[in-house]
Amino acid sequence: MTTTGHSIGKAVPRPDAFAKVTGRAQYSSDITLPRMTHAALVRSTSSHGRITNIDTAQAEAVAGVVCVVTGRDMAELGVVDRHYGLTVLDQPILSDDLVRYSGEAVAAVVAETAQIAGEAATLVEVSVDPIEPMLTVDQALEGATLVHPERESAGSDGANIAAYYEFADGDVEAALAGAHYVHEAVFRFPMVAHYAMEPHCCIAAWNGTDLDVIAGTQQPFKVRSDLARMFGLQQNQVRVRVPYVGGGYGGKLLSKYEPLTVALAWKAKRPVKLLLSADESFRTISRHGSVVTMRTGVDADGNIVARDTRVILDTGAYADKGPGVAKKAAYRAKGPYDIPHFRSVAMAVYTNKVPAGAFRGYSTPQVVWAGESAINEIADHLGIDPLQYRRDHLLERGGDFMPSDTPMDADLVGGLQLAADGVRWAVPAPEGRGKGLATGVKDGGGGPSRAEAEVRLLADGSAEVLTGTSEIGQGAHAVYTQIVAEELRCDPARVTPRLPDTATSPFDHGTEASRSTVLVGNAVRKAAMSVADQLGEMVERLLGTRRDFVIEEHRLVFDDGSDAVLAELMARDRNLPVTHEFELGPIVSLSYHDTLVSGKAPLGTPSNFYEVGHGAAEVDVDRETGRVELIRYTSVADVGKALNPQTCAAQDEGAAIMAIGHTFFEEMVFENGELLNGNLAEYRLPLAADLPREGMGVELLENEDGPGPYGAKGAGEAGIISMAPAVAEAVYQACGVRIHDLPLNPQRVWRALNEATTQPGPD
Amino acid sequence: MLGKDDRIEITVTVNGESQVVDVASSDLLIDVLREQLHLTGTKRSCDLQICGTCTVLVDGKAVSSCTTLAVETENREVRTVEGLADGETLHPLQQAFIDEFASQCGFCTPGFLMTAFALLDEVSRPTPEEVHRYLEGNVCRCGSYTNILNAIERAQPTTER
Repeated sequence: MTTTGHSIGKAVPRPDAFAKVTGRAQYSSDITLPRMTHAALVRSTSSHGRITNIDTAQAEAVAGVVCVVTGRDMAELGVVDRHYGLTVLDQPILSDDLVRYSGEAVAAVVAETAQIAGEAATLVEVSVDPIEPMLTVDQALEGATLVHPERESAGSDGANIAAYYEFADGDVEAALAGAHYVHEAVFRFPMVAHYAMEPHCCIAAWNGTDLDVIAGTQQPFKVRSDLARMFGLQQNQVRVRVPYVGGGYGGKLLSKYEPLTVALAWKAKRPVKLLLSADESFRTISRHGSVVTMRTGVDADGNIVARDTRVILDTGAYADKGPGVAKKAAYRAKGPYDIPHFRSVAMAVYTNKVPAGAFRGYSTPQVVWAGESAINEIADHLGIDPLQYRRDHLLERGGDFMPSDTPMDADLVGGLQLAADGVRWAVPAPEGRGKGLATGVKDGGGGPSRAEAEVRLLADGSAEVLTGTSEIGQGAHAVYTQIVAEELRCDPARVTPRLPDTATSPFDHGTEASRSTVLVGNAVRKAAMSVADQLGEMVERLLGTRRDFVIEEHRLVFDDGSDAVLAELMARDRNLPVTHEFELGPIVSLSYHDTLVSGKAPLGTPSNFYEVGHGAAEVDVDRETGRVELIRYTSVADVGKALNPQTCAAQDEGAAIMAIGHTFFEEMVFENGELLNGNLAEYRLPLAADLPREGMGVELLENEDGPGPYGAKGAGEAGIISMAPAVAEAVYQACGVRIHDLPLNPQRVWRALNEATTQPGPD
Repeated sequence: MLGKDDRIEITVTVNGESQVVDVASSDLLIDVLREQLHLTGTKRSCDLQICGTCTVLVDGKAVSSCTTLAVETENREVRTVEGLADGETLHPLQQAFIDEFASQCGFCTPGFLMTAFALLDEVSRPTPEEVHRYLEGNVCRCGSYTNILNAIERAQPTTER
């Protein structure tokens, strides 16, 4: 391989690719332990009510059933704290009093086979005294009943508020009152499903007093910490291993079913595997449906003087990541413009529906749907081309995304121009078609966190890189091997990444917020540089002079063409006979990277970088049916430096394709609190045929201006941010209707077209 | 007629090897492959014959193993992703998936490979429309479609590149 010493930025095949194309890659759901039993869950059919009885007798009598567990068993099982979550610990392993949504697990059956468990679970009878369910955020805020009666509402705007945040500067009311024009609208974003192809899966086994957990989780160290706290263990008694994960997108963050599976294994006294069906994962976690009310004021010259935003997020029955999602919604609602007067309020509101949590982009797609639609409409009102309007008003490099936070680190106008070029912005769209664009920005890398990495150069010239990053498909491990290869000047194919195991992996906060390449990547690079330094010093000790070299297989090849066997050098350096190569062990370094902390930054941690996604769309609208076809789409991600360009582009393109879902057709539909389309027969996902007719364009902006290794910024979320407002503007340009509710499905577009024909046109 | 719990021994050829398996008449092919034969390369997702993740070949035709009864495969040939490579030599489709970065999380990859194999077996030079139609039964939630399409293009032996 010719990439030795030059692996960064190259088309290096992914280290997991061979295992994945041969079917040998192991996922949690593929693993079987000796004496393992299988669990099936009993789910509530009631949306809200008090459990009066759970009759498990019939299920327990089934041959092959090991045990049946309900919320009432928790105390007996020695559970110290049965609740988990992010900052609001409101979710019980199994509830023993209230059921809070239809689909909530209320009992579990453990049996010799999954089939027996599943059949026995249908025999468990759950009696519930119904309570009026809160089915919409408006109803919940009015508060006829409380989803969590034991909790106080977190805001004064109403009942059932799980978390409430506000960020403000200046005097927004006065500025709006004095504005030349105020744009005001309400924007709705649907609740959507992650649908990771691999449903949630966890295997738990008690080995003596220690706990061994195998799970498809994005956050093994968080799971370890939760399990230790909840079961009264020391953290070193809990081991969490993460094989390959069949997709995450945020839906496998925090603890999900790990505490329950551990409780089941405790009661069963045998290893337990809990593997959900896809339909059950639909009823586990979702993206927050939202209502964003936004007022944006401009002066006579078109400058934005004020923006007032109120975001209401439907967090469902449990808070999960809702508080974080709400905080970031408030933080990002102002958008990438210099606005002297703003107020952004966001709240996560409990309802009796499937919980909502983290989902690729966090709350950015929801607030950018509103914010960028508003910008498009303001430009239209002022008679200015939306690209030109953004050229005049987008933040410049160094500008304030938010006061006292990291200055804008990207060339926003340059990036947007690339997106516009992708749909030939300057060429007018033909009849029946339209073009639109948008710019979305999120602070990247998440909150305060530590990332660690260990690099080992083995005596045969191969290397290992150990991190706590879950390989959920994003390709972080590919990037880590390339960083190590770059610093050690070796072939990346000779570097093996190790999947997370809390017993042996260095610590990491978790696989989220586009943080792995930047934060863990920095730790990997530091560790690799330290190993390279140790190697260089060894060579200097032995040869009496510092020399440049590369590692080729088991040899060091020096700049003058001479070479030496690494193991022989290590043996000489350590005064061991070379016959004892096995005794040499590795050259090792463990390094870490901590996020900065600043008392001045509004979030406490300055943004690590800004994750910027520009989108430009060309659509065709069929006026007869309301069907919108995506003709062209270009996504531009400002990635600083693409360490593995193919993987980086695939991530951004994948995010944009995911956005096709919420833009055009995805929506979880509820009736009386029951999810009607929680299966793939009724919930449509983007397919190959949904690609834009002329292809999906992806441009990576590489100005090497990020804080990660080699100037990288985080990636993988940008592409999902800007599609909806870009497409909505294109629809307006094509047929003159403005739509503020997603998805832009044919029924909605057709209805808007029909209403428009009976009313005056847009201009 | 067999009841759903009645068991029967069937002979089925899996990846070229004749196997005798003891199955209930209600057992699904996916469960027999994954649990009895430990061929876990075939993945389960939607259970509804929609996502294509569990696709295998039965007598060369792509089928969803999540909705195929194991007893239906008696005396037939089943091929799974484990049967694509010749020892350690990858099938051209597998190599193309690696070269085109067509896998992200990889959970859908076996299903796409088997569907693409059946497609290229049926039509050696499919048009883009034929490829799209064939892939309507396969979902990649990571959204690797462009790279998957490029891989299928690359794997065609007569493609001039």
